[in-house]
Amino acid sequence: MSEEKRIVKSYEEEMQSLNDDLVKMGSLTESQLSDTIQAIVKIDKEAAENIIKNDVQINELRAKIDDQISTVLVKRAPMAIDLRTTISSLKISHDLERIGDLAKSVAKKIEPLPIDLPQELTGSLKRLGELVQKQLNNVLDAYISKSKDKAIEVWRNDEQVDDLTHIAMNEVANFLGKNKKNLELATHLLFVTKNIERAGDHVTNIAESLYYLIEGEYLEGARPKGKEFVKDK
Amino acid sequence: MTNNKVKIKTEKLDVFYGQKQALKNVNLEIFNREVTALIGPSGCGKSTYIRCINRMNDVIETCKISGSIKIDGQEINNKQIDVVRLRERIGMVFQKPNPFPKSIYDNVAYGPQIHGLADHKDKLDQIVQTSLKKSALWEEVKDRLDEPGTSLSGGQQQRLCIARAISVNPEVILMDEPCSALDPIATAKIEELMEELKKTFTIVIVTHSMAQAVRVSQRTGFFHLGNLIEVDTTDKMFKNPNNKMTQDYITGRFG
Ligand SMILES: Nc1ncnc2c1ncn2[C@@H]1O[C@H](COP(=O)(O)OP(=O)(O)OP(=O)(O)O)[C@@H](O)[C@H]1O
Ligand SMILES: [Mg+2]
Repeated sequence: MSEEKRIVKSYEEEMQSLNDDLVKMGSLTESQLSDTIQAIVKIDKEAAENIIKNDVQINELRAKIDDQISTVLVKRAPMAIDLRTTISSLKISHDLERIGDLAKSVAKKIEPLPIDLPQELTGSLKRLGELVQKQLNNVLDAYISKSKDKAIEVWRNDEQVDDLTHIAMNEVANFLGKNKKNLELATHLLFVTKNIERAGDHVTNIAESLYYLIEGEYLEGARPKGKEFVKDK
Repeated sequence: MTNNKVKIKTEKLDVFYGQKQALKNVNLEIFNREVTALIGPSGCGKSTYIRCINRMNDVIETCKISGSIKIDGQEINNKQIDVVRLRERIGMVFQKPNPFPKSIYDNVAYGPQIHGLADHKDKLDQIVQTSLKKSALWEEVKDRLDEPGTSLSGGQQQRLCIARAISVNPEVILMDEPCSALDPIATAKIEELMEELKKTFTIVIVTHSMAQAVRVSQRTGFFHLGNLIEVDTTDKMFKNPNNKMTQDYITGRFG
């Protein structure tokens, strides 16, 4: 990273403001995701409503960031680290928005759930949710400190997300296997689990964009893959 | 890169103007039929470098040059070389369009005449016409070839100078900030032209516009205080340069 400031002060300020908004969007998304995980575990329908309402803030920030990026591109024709920062910011803000959307979809599933969710079902889901939340937290830290190593670590840990998803899904499948009447609830929970996993995938994308921003190269090798979900007989 | 043959190979090039060292141990390879852009802050030695390639620095008394410059493997930085013949092989276009105080026709015909490339009028007419076509000026001047070159607009004059440079069928064209006095349309025409010219010629362009370097060149060299700091593909240089000085320069952190 270059520590020197740009000669053109307004350019410096534009890039700083872009960075600040992205960090802000990150922390907003992070709290939406963690609220969602809490709400699903506790079946907190009131919290769920707030989450649904708050999503618009993330979308607004996304629009603002898009606009700032367009301006920087036409006005500055950014080069090197500035070019990579600009295009990575565009991608990262897109992934953050998607995480926000997924949190919102999960929140929407809370309303139809019964208050007393069987304990056997929430354990893995909670662990999965907390892991993805931690991953998001770590990738945002990595972004702020521009740490390549932290970005790689987050990227690698996606394997754990996949494994936990697998376990959580098997639990739901077993629950369904016990009684076909559980079908509706099981469907909701599978949806929730899958969405949390997908939020995790977007975190991995962010780690990749960040790596490109820092190194100017793409993270090599295929993204780590967990075991495919196989429904127990 | 399509063609990876080295056209100009520079080794251990040192240039002094009196006591002042303008180039320090420059090692640079310029590839055949590519556009190589040279960038760097004012006074870093870009013009000095390209003037070494066609021995334009010879006329500066205080200028001392050592090291090697080979074109197609042939050393040109020695006393034996025929400088007139060398300049026929290596054309140059300057920052400020500088047509001769002659007609448009004569501006282009002059080179082929003195180099004896045309033995009769028809041949000369033909050279003038193709050169003006190649420099994308023909349509604009074909009905006024007798008018003075200086009666053209700045952008047209610059294309006339390009026509003049290519009329002797050079191998290399050196361009020292060829668009700095031109508007965006005239600049676009020259850039478009370079795209065409590089199919036949090897081009070295000095430019202060990073965006132009990205648009026209395949390779870029960055000079700073007489040193060639970094040279790489243009893509690499502007997306992810290796050297922090390059990065600081192209991102506007010093200059
Ligand atoms: N004829 C000369 N006599 C003495 N010093 C010279 C002469 N020509 C150039 N120099 C010096 O050599 C150095 C390199 O000059 P040069 O013209 O090659 O720079 P440049 O990179 O082309 O700069 P610019 O971008 O301003 O055209 C400068 O310090 C300049 O002052
Ligand atoms: Mg110069």
